[in-house]
Amino acid sequence: MIKVHTQFLSHFKELAATDEDVFELDRPLVSELATRICDRYGPRMQAVLIDPDTQELNARGTMFVDAKGRRICMADPLEDGDVITFMMGIAGG
Amino acid sequence: MESRLLRVNLTTGEMKGETIPHSIFERWIGGSGVNNWIMWEHFLTHDINCDPRGPDNIFVFGVGPLAGTGAGSGIKGRITFKSPCYNMFGDSAGGGKFPYYARFSGYEYIAITGKAPKPVYLLICNGEVALIDAAHLWGKGTEDTHAILQEELGDYPSKVHTLSISQAGENQVGIAGVVSDALRIHARGGGGAVLGSKNLKAIAVQGNGGLPVARPGEMLAWSDDFRKKIDGNEAIYGFKRRGTLGAVEMYQHIGSHFWRNNQGNKFRGDEIRSDNWVKKFQKYSEVCSSDCFIACDSKYVIDGTESEPSKKYIGETFRRPEYLTTGSAAGALDVRDWSEVAHWGKITNDYAIDNQDLSCSISFLMELKQRDLISNHDVAELFGHEQSLRWGNMDDIEACVESIVFQKNLFGVMFRDGPYFGALKYSEMKGKNFMKYAMYGKGGASFTEEVRPYPTWMNNMAVASRGADHLKGIGLIEKFQREDLSKMYFNGRTEAADLTIPDLKGACTALAENQVALLNSYGVCLFHWMLDPAEFTPQDYYGKAYAAVTGIERTPEELMRDGERICNLEKAFNSRVGMRREHDMVCERWMWEPNSEGLYEGAVGADMFNTVLDEYYEWRGWEKESGLQTRARLEELGMEDVADVLAKDGALALT
Ligand code: SF4
Repeated sequence: MIKVHTQFLSHFKELAATDEDVFELDRPLVSELATRICDRYGPRMQAVLIDPDTQELNARGTMFVDAKGRRICMADPLEDGDVITFMMGIAGG
Repeated sequence: MESRLLRVNLTTGEMKGETIPHSIFERWIGGSGVNNWIMWEHFLTHDINCDPRGPDNIFVFGVGPLAGTGAGSGIKGRITFKSPCYNMFGDSAGGGKFPYYARFSGYEYIAITGKAPKPVYLLICNGEVALIDAAHLWGKGTEDTHAILQEELGDYPSKVHTLSISQAGENQVGIAGVVSDALRIHARGGGGAVLGSKNLKAIAVQGNGGLPVARPGEMLAWSDDFRKKIDGNEAIYGFKRRGTLGAVEMYQHIGSHFWRNNQGNKFRGDEIRSDNWVKKFQKYSEVCSSDCFIACDSKYVIDGTESEPSKKYIGETFRRPEYLTTGSAAGALDVRDWSEVAHWGKITNDYAIDNQDLSCSISFLMELKQRDLISNHDVAELFGHEQSLRWGNMDDIEACVESIVFQKNLFGVMFRDGPYFGALKYSEMKGKNFMKYAMYGKGGASFTEEVRPYPTWMNNMAVASRGADHLKGIGLIEKFQREDLSKMYFNGRTEAADLTIPDLKGACTALAENQVALLNSYGVCLFHWMLDPAEFTPQDYYGKAYAAVTGIERTPEELMRDGERICNLEKAFNSRVGMRREHDMVCERWMWEPNSEGLYEGAVGADMFNTVLDEYYEWRGWEKESGLQTRARLEELGMEDVADVLAKDGALALT
């Protein structure tokens, strides 16, 4: 069992109704974290988190990164104490 | 596909309508592509080295074929000219209703030359054209100008829609832009100064004509599919809520803002670091043009309860600030109150002045003051009186803005063409080298975002045809680490998505420039593509809409070549005015100073700069040593005529 911290920014904060949360995972994988997030926050979160065609993390207009700023994907392993940040991927203006 | 072009010679008062034949669209798509070609042809018979503020310069307005057709893809008009601030190719996009009402009024393209003997405005109403005395508009901001024209021209055959300049344009301030319907600025490159130099205060259009669509049923089906895809995308819904302000928290997290002239890259101040502005200030959402399925725009009204500084602005209403309005105020100038950021957005729009050039000019001087490199006496010499130049102080900031807009004092005159030329002049005047603190790329002001960790963005800043620019070669693949897009465009290779290596970063610039050139030529907003670049590909997905509207059939590969051709014409313009590889560069801070904070702390631009630039030239088929185009590549693109002109001017690679 590991603990993973999540940070929700911008639109994700609205969907989760919180800016941070903690998840205890049996399997130390991003896919497990994604499943738990969808279970906890419901279908709108799932719609933005998971790409229905590929079942990968959704890349469209989003950015999910680890503490080093690397984009994560479903198969990535997680470690106890990891912090994953969920953001909207926008540029310009 | 045919379009109408109105040619106006302000010196003689002659105005002539022409038909742009189908063959031009076969080669240049429309919108920015056709604008470029009109300007290119103009400078075959006029001196390309002319003073951009002189009568020989040309100002072209154009709008692409998808605009106003109900495509739902947003509408952007484009202005194109020789830039008075950077003395090279200049163009700028803007939304609002003006672009498609120009179409409804009978002209999709307007080319203005010469100089009117006194201030005038141009009225186009269902194909009828007139030059009208503008003495009563001269000296007014864009909001007043628009309101007066709406009042005096009435609501028939449609409401009046305008493109206008402010006092900054009248004073030929090089960084003055042009504003559509008093709301949406064509900021970049100094189009306002070009119109000001021609004594043209505004263009007003009214019309209720229709638009030709080659295959309406096909177009409707495309539009329906587009709408469903947008409505079904929760991330796009997030963008509807916040627009580009959605970037504030992301940039704060990764360290991508441009704080205090980019000495740092995170906003300071509790409130400004969060995008909860949307909940606090936003009153209602709307679209900037009537043909957009996203509608990311919105309005605010300040009631004075939001914060202490907001009491100064009770009743003020305008568009919600976009990210770069915020980046320039909360970032470059360290303004920490949202109502002040919003006010900055309002005044820079009313004065029609580029807030990137403006903020980088002011933050340059503030940094010199912060570092005690200049004294109070030096500041008084620039302003004619004492000026504290404190970071984030709106009184100081507004004094700087007015200095430039009204050309009030030495600071205003010196920085009328932005931070690069301003810093050069000031260094020369003081006999000291202050260029280390000037933020720019290729002579253009930095855009107020951190670029050092992003090799493609850095390269974009160096090579953009209109100077440092984030909207010509948007680096989506790299910034958002999109392996899927890297694989899609580079034969399964993933390196383009890896920030830590230079591979495929120059290629990404070339790819994105070609795609953006296509979108700008269709006349659509870039955001729909940016939000889902794998789905809404300019060369394929949008290409189908282009075919339905124009009847011009193109494979995705052909459309990519069309985009490349458009980029090559902009490059050729700059080669003709003498730009070479040594001009494709960025400022010292970006090049040599390590990125000071954030997730990508320590990144130094110079580590990858030349490798990426070499690769960019390779992908473009240009000569690496000189940066010039080769005849072979131009001929491949069907641009033999352009190669001939370059050869005659000594601006073609010898290899
Ligand atoms: S996405 Fe936003 S900026 Fe683009 S056309 Fe629509 S409302 Fe305007």
